[in-house]
Amino acid sequence: MISLLDLVGTIGASVLGLPGILGLALGMTTRNWILAAVMGGIVGLIAPILLGGSHSMNVTVPVAEYVIGMLVGICAGFAGSAVRHKGAKV
Amino acid sequence: MADPKDETSPRRGLLRRVWDAFWSPTGVLSTGFLLIAGFLAGILFWGGFHWSLELTNTEEFCTSCHTMETNLGEYRETVHYNNHSGVRAICSDCHVPHEWQHKMKAKIMAVKDVYHELRGTISTPEKYEERRLEMASAVWKKMKATDSRECRNCHAFEYMDFTIQETRAADNHQKAIDQGMTCIDCHQGIAHDLPPDYLEEYRHVVETLAQGERDQSVDVAQIKTYLGISAD
Repeated sequence: MISLLDLVGTIGASVLGLPGILGLALGMTTRNWILAAVMGGIVGLIAPILLGGSHSMNVTVPVAEYVIGMLVGICAGFAGSAVRHKGAKV
Repeated sequence: MADPKDETSPRRGLLRRVWDAFWSPTGVLSTGFLLIAGFLAGILFWGGFHWSLELTNTEEFCTSCHTMETNLGEYRETVHYNNHSGVRAICSDCHVPHEWQHKMKAKIMAVKDVYHELRGTISTPEKYEERRLEMASAVWKKMKATDSRECRNCHAFEYMDFTIQETRAADNHQKAIDQGMTCIDCHQGIAHDLPPDYLEEYRHVVETLAQGERDQSVDVAQIKTYLGISAD
C-alpha cells in the first residue's frame, strides 16, 4: 500500500508525463469517447516501462504505478476528446 | 437566453466572454500560422518549464532553507564533496532521479520539505537529531526499493576494476554481486552522519520492503487465479 504522499507524487508525475500529455493529445484526435479513453489507457500502461527504466538497475515497476498511469491516461483521453467536441467542427 | 450578437442584450461577464472567445474559430489566422505559433509557444513553455525545474536541482536551491544547513555541513566532509578526481555529486545527484517519470514524482513529493521548513519540524539541532533516524530511514527505503537507482547513475559494478580497489572493497563488491545486494545495503552513511541504532532500523526497512513484495506477489497470484490464468 502506497502512502498518500507517494500517491500524490505518482499522480502528478503521470499528469506531467506521457499519460497526461500524450493521452490528452491522442484524445484530441477523436470524438469517440471510448477510443479516446482506450488510447489514453494504453499510453498510461506503457509509460512506466518507457519512462521509468534505467540503464543498470533491476527493479520491477509497482502495480500501483501501472494502475495510476492508466487512470490518468484514461482521464486525459476523455479530456482530450472533450476538447475535440468543444473546439472542432470535424 | 440573450443573443450575444444582440447589442441591446445585457453585457455578459468577462469570464464568459473570454471563454466564448477561446472556443470560437479564428477568422483572421491561417491554420499554418496557428500551428507555427503553437509550436513555438510549446517550445518556449517546455523550455521554460525544464529550465525552472533544473534550477531546483542546484545545490544553492537545495540548501537555501535553514533546515538544510546540518545536511550540508555533513556532506561537505565526505568524498562526494571533495575528492582526488575533482568530480562532485551534489544533492540532486543522489536525491533526484534522472528519469522523467521518477524525477517529477520526486519533485512533487519534495513539497513536503517546504511544509516542514515552514512548520519548523527540524529547525533546531535537537529537533534535527530527534528526526535523523526517521529521515534517514525514508531515504534508505527509497534507495533500497529502487536498487540504489541514483547511485547507479554514476556507479555500476560493470565499470568497476576490482584489481585497483582495496582488497576489502573488492571482496565486498564481489560479494554484493553474488548476493544481489545494492549500494545502500552497505553505504548508508556515505553523505550524512549516521543516527544511533541505524543498523537495526535499516534491517527493519529491508524486512518491511520484503514483506510488501511478498504481499504484492500474493495479490497478483490471487488475481490470476480469479481470471483463470495460470499462476506461473
